[in-house]
Amino acid sequence: MMKLHLSRKQLCIPYALFLALFVVIPMLLILFYAFTETVDGKISFTFMNFVNFFTSTAKLSTLLMSFTIAIISTAICLLIGYPVAYILARSHFRKKNVLLMLFILPMWINFVLRITALRELLDLIGLLGTQNYLNTIIGMVYDFLPFMILPLYTTLEKLDNSYLEAASDLGGNKFTVFTKVTFPLSMPGVISGITMVFMPSMTNYVVSDTLGNFNITILGKLINEYFTTYDNWHMGSMISIILLVIIFLTMLATGGFKDSKNDARGANLW
Amino acid sequence: MKKKFFANIFSLFLLAPFLLSFVGCANESSSDNILRVYNWEDYICNEDSEEDGYVDLIAKFENEYKQKTGKNVTVEYSTFGTNENMYNELKIGGAEYDLVCPSDYMIMKMISEDMVEPFTDEFIQNSNYAEYASPYIKDLFELNGWTKYAVAYMWGTMGYVYNPNIVDKEDLQSWGGIWNKKYSNLTTIKDSVRDSYFLGVAYEYMEELKALAEQYNVTSLDDENYSKYNALVTEIMNRTDEETLEAVKNDLIDLKQYLYGFEVDSGKQDMITGKIAINFAWSGDAVFAMDEAEPIYDEDTGKLIEKGVYLNYIVPEECSNIWFDGWVMPKGANVELAQEFIDFLSSPENAMTNMNYIGYTSAIAGDAVFEGMSSEDWYSEGEEGDLDENGNPLVPYNLNYFFNGTSDGKYKDGEYFIWVSQESRDRQIAAQYPSEEIIARSAIMQHFDDNTNAAVNEMWEEVKGLPIPIWAYIVIAVIAGGILLIVLTYIYKGRHSEPKPKKGYKILKKGA
Repeated sequence: MMKLHLSRKQLCIPYALFLALFVVIPMLLILFYAFTETVDGKISFTFMNFVNFFTSTAKLSTLLMSFTIAIISTAICLLIGYPVAYILARSHFRKKNVLLMLFILPMWINFVLRITALRELLDLIGLLGTQNYLNTIIGMVYDFLPFMILPLYTTLEKLDNSYLEAASDLGGNKFTVFTKVTFPLSMPGVISGITMVFMPSMTNYVVSDTLGNFNITILGKLINEYFTTYDNWHMGSMISIILLVIIFLTMLATGGFKDSKNDARGANLW
Repeated sequence: MKKKFFANIFSLFLLAPFLLSFVGCANESSSDNILRVYNWEDYICNEDSEEDGYVDLIAKFENEYKQKTGKNVTVEYSTFGTNENMYNELKIGGAEYDLVCPSDYMIMKMISEDMVEPFTDEFIQNSNYAEYASPYIKDLFELNGWTKYAVAYMWGTMGYVYNPNIVDKEDLQSWGGIWNKKYSNLTTIKDSVRDSYFLGVAYEYMEELKALAEQYNVTSLDDENYSKYNALVTEIMNRTDEETLEAVKNDLIDLKQYLYGFEVDSGKQDMITGKIAINFAWSGDAVFAMDEAEPIYDEDTGKLIEKGVYLNYIVPEECSNIWFDGWVMPKGANVELAQEFIDFLSSPENAMTNMNYIGYTSAIAGDAVFEGMSSEDWYSEGEEGDLDENGNPLVPYNLNYFFNGTSDGKYKDGEYFIWVSQESRDRQIAAQYPSEEIIARSAIMQHFDDNTNAAVNEMWEEVKGLPIPIWAYIVIAVIAGGILLIVLTYIYKGRHSEPKPKKGYKILKKGA
């Protein structure tokens, strides 16, 4: 009887294979498609997809609209989510876990179902078909609010109370304590929340299609169109790459890549 | 050393679920007696139900084939969602099929790219399809040169389904009827490039098409001017020059303000629930919407069980787009078996079963189909001379153009009439079998070549993406301003905030 001892390296093999098969190779494929074109069945190298994207009115306006919708949705999520997370985290309410769960609970229901239900609701109010952009933003906020609340709550909850007490002792009023201590210390949570909401808001076209009656095109939808109906995988891949770069830049700007063992306190999911 | 090797192997077992799933795919052996059919979803009757008259046609084919030849056959039936998905799958070459069922333009594309096997002469001259397919459909295929490569399955027109209680029929005599404040927020059109492009072209050249119709006044396929008139309509419907694209783009962007929205599949449902009053639809979907929206009465007592509304279908006077889905055999297909299957589907009995289940209009005519259509269950409301509920005489609905020459002896050419009431003429039957008059002004939209296709797609993107609302510009401006402000304060602070050390003090180097 031979005993098997698995070393760490060996245990890694499946994961390495997984990463290669489902992350690295697909990424290379997308890169390949983005910088090639098919003419008469022959594939050749080209930069035209890139040029075409930035010279096309339709694509640029789609980019602009996705950006606007994502920014507004994120801002609203932050405005609603921060006070909620703050109250939940700082209150001494004994059943606050129940409250938190109520905010998180919708995440456990299939989101297509939630959006379909929201569609009926908006129809009842009379917004459906008339206020496409508003509906889309309502849908995005409704959908992604828990993703904003959760990281904020985690950071705020772990906030060391002695910092706040020290600030008060040194003569800071409540407002100063908040702006000078609480808010800066909760920045990792804010950034994490923003990235969690901003990125999907740019691409989640189920929301814009269902609530905007297919009147609004966002980047995710455009990519889908290029792969399924326009039958141009090259442009579809190029848009995916551009989206990837945008997200990468946003994270770079918000400091999402900082190696921050101490700052993040586990709340920074990135 | 050996131990290490075994450990490596063992760790691979963790991947077993993945590997197994691959093996599962590779295991399918290709044998002569497997027929691989690739079709649209819900596009064949594969359900047994005596009550509804459904017969599982796939099982029936397998049985009949066994009886006829003594050999077993297995139909591997799979479905696709869009023509482009199907096309890509064939192009990439991962999956092989013996029979696929794309739409008109995709068939043209596949023929032009030499992707399909021709049918044998034997099949073209001597099969159920040759015998029972409607002469109109066969002529259409002959005229366009598709006879050798494709056979029609289901077909129809495009038109408006509307709710006559809200919408004035006169308004919809023209495609332009929905560019109208009166119906603002009551209309949906298809979220599909080709269909909406057709709508835009029909609207843009409305005057020209009307003038043509007046000039030639063709109401029958036998009219001496028919082919000339139809060729002119076809030319207009297939314009894709730059001016047309620009004009259509502006027309469609203009239309957006009157729309409730675009739809992929929700149009039928929205018509039924009354969210909208006009839906730009394929005739097959129109039949479904009308069926579902009708009020239901108890068969015995005549009592109202479920409230509803009678919707109408109209093909505007300018022109219409004839669409069809048809069978083609991709290169390398098992031609013999595929033809056998089409032959089976083309018998009028099976075509009727299919129509019953799918609700679309089969390209097959023949006794069983006409018998079904002219039964009380479907469209007939009586015979010549009968009166309808309101005491008006029934009117004949002429289907000779479709059924002539396909009977086994039960019906005579020129006697294919169904007697219906005045109101019914605007309902299901108008969508199921367009009148000859409508057919005369309907044409096929050809497939676009790659460059045109790219231009039309670009046009459609702009239709969907423009105009950008003013508030979006404001938001962007505010954000850009905010970012600029932050950057400026940062630079300003960076220059002034670090006080210079007083004389006599040294700055400690960072990290020292």
